Amino acid sequence: MKKEPVKIILLVVFSIILLFPIYILFMSAFKEPGELFVVSLWPRKISFDNLKLVLNPKFLNSIKNSLFVSATVTAVAMILHSMCGYALARLDFPGKKLIFTTIISTLMIPTTTILVPLFMVCKSLGIENSYAGLIIPALFNAYGIFLFRQFYLDFPKELEEAAEVEGCGKVRLFVQIVLPLSRPMIVPLTIAFFLGTWNNYLWPLIINKKEEYQTIQVYLANMVSGYSTPWNEVIATAAMSAIPVFLLFLLLQKQLKEGIKVTGIK
Amino acid sequence: MKKSNISKRRRKEHLIAYAFILPDFLGLFIFVIIPIIYAFYISFFKWDFINEKIFVGAANYIRMWKDMNWWNAMLRTLKLTVLYVPLLFCLSLFFAALISTIRSKAGSFIKTSFLMPFAITSVIASTLWMFLYNEKRGYLNAAFKALGLSNQKFLGSGKQALVCIIVVLLWINLGYNMILFLSAIKDIPESYREAAILDGAGRWQVFRYITFPLIRQTSIFILVTTTIASFQVLDLIMVMTKGGPAKATEVGALYIYDRSFNMMEMGYGSALSVFLFFSLLVFSFVQMRLTSEEQGEGV
Repeated sequence: MKKEPVKIILLVVFSIILLFPIYILFMSAFKEPGELFVVSLWPRKISFDNLKLVLNPKFLNSIKNSLFVSATVTAVAMILHSMCGYALARLDFPGKKLIFTTIISTLMIPTTTILVPLFMVCKSLGIENSYAGLIIPALFNAYGIFLFRQFYLDFPKELEEAAEVEGCGKVRLFVQIVLPLSRPMIVPLTIAFFLGTWNNYLWPLIINKKEEYQTIQVYLANMVSGYSTPWNEVIATAAMSAIPVFLLFLLLQKQLKEGIKVTGIK
Repeated sequence: MKKSNISKRRRKEHLIAYAFILPDFLGLFIFVIIPIIYAFYISFFKWDFINEKIFVGAANYIRMWKDMNWWNAMLRTLKLTVLYVPLLFCLSLFFAALISTIRSKAGSFIKTSFLMPFAITSVIASTLWMFLYNEKRGYLNAAFKALGLSNQKFLGSGKQALVCIIVVLLWINLGYNMILFLSAIKDIPESYREAAILDGAGRWQVFRYITFPLIRQTSIFILVTTTIASFQVLDLIMVMTKGGPAKATEVGALYIYDRSFNMMEMGYGSALSVFLFFSLLVFSFVQMRLTSEEQGEGV
């Protein structure tokens, strides 16, 4: 491979181009307010004035809401989908095929096409403008169930047989033996569900009109929707709100790359 | 006695299975299946959310048929799909193939850099690129000026706005799809390629006749998911342009959103949703047929 250095240079240059907007975002957050639109590669003087604009109660509240909603959705979804996937893979019951087909067929329904009726369903259940409205509809995802099922299909049978001989019931078997061994599927799906919920903008925008429950994505998007945009605050807010996910990303890089491979979902 | 014991145990297993499945099944039923049925039902009514529903038969569908704004919006969706999907596909495949051949430690840095934009949310990406695209004082126009090019309007231009949005979509999704391709390429045993090289195959031939045919499942997966996603691009457009300037970025999904939630035409919005749903359904059936044919060949 004589051409290796050429390839590496090409790839590194392209990587830097991809990273450049992110660099501009964080660098600009540290500029002096009046200097924001002065094109430069480095702030003339590092200033925290922009960042000070961000730390107001509304911002902190929206970060708190997003963290709470994403964490709850992820935790509950993992429990529900692993249970459902396990039953579909390893337990025997009448109507299994029909139930599985019904669940899988919901994969063909794209979210955008059900936004209107989903809103109407939630309104009639009285869960609009609440945490319940943000959380409950986000939980149900056939792809998560499908991936858990695939995972449990390959699960070693001997473990269950041994547990059965010991007189261990199905529920205890699942909680004490199967769940702890499900890490290879739980880790990538946790990342996928957390990022997916954290990233969601449309659903929180539609289902909640109260400032109390506003998520960070809606808060940030609202800042650029008026006639004049407070750019200093927007850039600083965007940078600050990117930090939690970046930290997660840098800590879990390996699992994330692995997870994309395993799950193929965002 | 033994027999009844077994059937008792089996009945217990059935009950446990149903208990395990029930929450998810109920949730999917209420929040996915009922909405699609409800959309179909509402599409035969005129409803503004406040007054009583009025049954109008197929009027909403007839209106859709004649609504030029709707078809123009769908045409923009198609334009976006036709530009974005092949570009994303080729770029991510190209970079995956390139990265798969390097052995240097720089590979890890490169993969991480490609994936970084994926860790940014669509709203952050939208605001950031609005800042970069800024007509008078943005970084992109500064770069254009440095290269001796003229000042561009970007998101403010009817001709450029849709392309500008596609650039952001590519920026976000390139790394993710590249990693998918890369892991598919890595799953091909090295010996296949070595054998071909020994037989005197060039690098392009190895790619064309060994690598590419063996990653067809991944290729189809990426084509299907990206096309379906491209029909649903909504958040970026809502934040960056709101369909403007002069409707240049008003895609089908945005038109539905606007009719339903801004104009409160729930019946008409539902009819449009049903249409979009069935078009995507037809599309995914065609794609699925293609995929199963692949498997039938036993690759």
